[in-house]
Amino acid sequence: MRRTFWLAIAIVLVVAYPWVFSTPFQQRLGALVLLYAIAASAWNIIGGYAGQVSVGHVVFFGCGAYAAMGAYTHFALSPLVGLPAGLVASVAIAAVIGVPTLRLSGHYFSMATIAVAELARLIVTNTDYLGAAVGLSGPTVPRNVFDLSFISALPYYYLFFAVLAVTLAITWWMTNSRMGFYLRAIRDSERAARSLGAPASRTKLYAYMLSAGLTSVAGALYAMMFGFVDPDSGLGLLISVKILIMAALGGAGLLFGPLVGAAILVPLEEISNSLLGGKGAGLTFVVYGAIIVLIARFQPGGILALINRLWAKRKTKQESKQGAADAS
Amino acid sequence: MRLSKLVGPLAAAAIAMGLASGAMAQQKTVKIGAVFPLSGNAASAGVHAKAAIEVALDIINNAHPEFGNFPLAKNAGLAGLGGAKVEVVFADNQGSPATGQNQALRLITEEKVVALTGAYQSGITLTASAIAEKYGIPFVNGESVASNLTERGFKWFFRTTPIATDFAQVYYDFFTEMKASGAKTDNIAVVHDTTEYGVSVANTLAATFKEKGHPIAQDVAYTTNATDVQSQVLQLKDKKPDVVIMISYTSDAILFAKTMQALDYKPPMLLADDSGYSDPSFIKAAGKISQGVFNRSSWSVGPAGSPTAIIAKLYKEKSGDEMDDTAARQMQAFFVLADAIDRAGSTEPAKIQAALKATDLKPEQLMIGYKGVKFDDKGQNILASGLIIQLQDGENYVAVFPKANAEKPPVMPYKGW
Repeated sequence: MRRTFWLAIAIVLVVAYPWVFSTPFQQRLGALVLLYAIAASAWNIIGGYAGQVSVGHVVFFGCGAYAAMGAYTHFALSPLVGLPAGLVASVAIAAVIGVPTLRLSGHYFSMATIAVAELARLIVTNTDYLGAAVGLSGPTVPRNVFDLSFISALPYYYLFFAVLAVTLAITWWMTNSRMGFYLRAIRDSERAARSLGAPASRTKLYAYMLSAGLTSVAGALYAMMFGFVDPDSGLGLLISVKILIMAALGGAGLLFGPLVGAAILVPLEEISNSLLGGKGAGLTFVVYGAIIVLIARFQPGGILALINRLWAKRKTKQESKQGAADAS
Repeated sequence: MRLSKLVGPLAAAAIAMGLASGAMAQQKTVKIGAVFPLSGNAASAGVHAKAAIEVALDIINNAHPEFGNFPLAKNAGLAGLGGAKVEVVFADNQGSPATGQNQALRLITEEKVVALTGAYQSGITLTASAIAEKYGIPFVNGESVASNLTERGFKWFFRTTPIATDFAQVYYDFFTEMKASGAKTDNIAVVHDTTEYGVSVANTLAATFKEKGHPIAQDVAYTTNATDVQSQVLQLKDKKPDVVIMISYTSDAILFAKTMQALDYKPPMLLADDSGYSDPSFIKAAGKISQGVFNRSSWSVGPAGSPTAIIAKLYKEKSGDEMDDTAARQMQAFFVLADAIDRAGSTEPAKIQAALKATDLKPEQLMIGYKGVKFDDKGQNILASGLIIQLQDGENYVAVFPKANAEKPPVMPYKGW
């Protein structure tokens, strides 16, 4: 009951945000929060729930972005057409790289995904069809509404909101299905899960493919909004790291963790850059990094985990008070 | 007790009044946004660009009679707007096309800038100018050379810098003149890295020279940030080209210079395409073993007392470094924009756009070696061009071509060390 109440409040807040913070920059900031929340929620499926820390998710992000821009550049189609193509390609790529790499455990899996991401960046940098080092652009002037090239950030905001809602719904459904239980068992102890008969390899692979497909949607949406992708902005490792940090900061393995993380980190980055970036001393990253260090040091479980814990504490306090009152 | 309670509100009132008067005074300032990489990989370039624009602001906003007839220098502020001062709001693009676009949007909608300049990396100029186009705000770029930037049908984008095709033409003219004076320039090799810059310039050179019936004989590619270029140098040593054109970033340029010395290879003529060879750190590390290398630049200091010499001095005071070609091109773009606002006599974007379209600056009105500034329908400066400079007697480049701008005659052959 309480859960539904908070969910309703959260939805109202998200829907109302662009009307309360209505300048174009604030609306865009809101859209970016939702966009990164999509990517981080997608990562959360494999990284949070299954505990397989992929640092190469930018491969799927880039796959979606390149598919969207490629549809326009090579076929003069709406970038929207590229979205499903990128999704299919991402899922296929995830299957191909997932089979060998998901056998690796812990850091070795992370390292393998980094290698794959760097490999993809180098291949694209040298592939003329994908714009090589120059990158691919989207429609400069929108031809029709399907080009998704708007001046206002509002349409992006609600589009991203819808996609995020779908992503979270899929995640929620998954966590409550048999697969979700398997994944949590694998995260806690893969060997124990296997010994109890959980199909670990298959489950991890499915989670990885699902995560990849959703990440590619985020990539495609990113490219549509900014109208451009090149190897660094579409396949740079920093994007993987950013997605990972958002999920970890908000609370990996929690449904709304990535959204909380994005809602803190994206404004922090953009606003600190707006206030300090013009000074030209790289202060932005100092502030940004310091906050991440503080959180990692004092609250490694993520902000949402902290809130949950405080909530639980208050509840037990209240209950014990109640108990004391009853006893007297 | 009473008084101390009053102090707070009084102070607040005083601050509020101060802010209000500040806001009133703002009507006399023209705000321009500048998006540059002030952090990240290209931070050095961005910080130098910022210094260059701050020097330009000093020249525009304060009276500088020593500049003679140089536009905007003589009186304080913009005469066309009743002496209004120009203010620049800098923003950091962090080397990311997304951040560049976000910051451009913020400058337009929050800071209410009337025009934009930037953004160094071609990819970021592309996304930042796209948002300016949507909002109808003029964007003047002085340094991004990707050819597609002016092929987008934009109405608010203007570019003052020469691009690869212009340089190819300068090189061709230079070779033709050197040939007339007895040097051999028939067999040309191009050495380049595989970055966007290296590949696009190499392709443009190949296309231009082929068109002139003088195809490039050899194409030698290497991966940027190389650790070893012996095989490339040996390849050149084996083929003995008359001219070697180098398209390299700084660390690779230094490595090539050292490897050439180690393998004792000196091409008769070595021509560098700006970039690494213009970097002050290249000249410090490998200047003494690269004597006689030709390079391109649109910037030259010029005779003492000339506007360019004064600018060079001001820039050195501001940044601590010598003025380089990139910073100079950015500064020129900013002057072009300020001049257009001055002529428009208005801060209305549409009037500034019209003034930019009507821009017709002559060489003597510029601080850089272009033949002038005049934009075509696509927003490209059709009078952009460059000089050939040569590293002679130590660590300074001197202009050697074209004759009109030459400080000294070119020295052949390449001396090396």
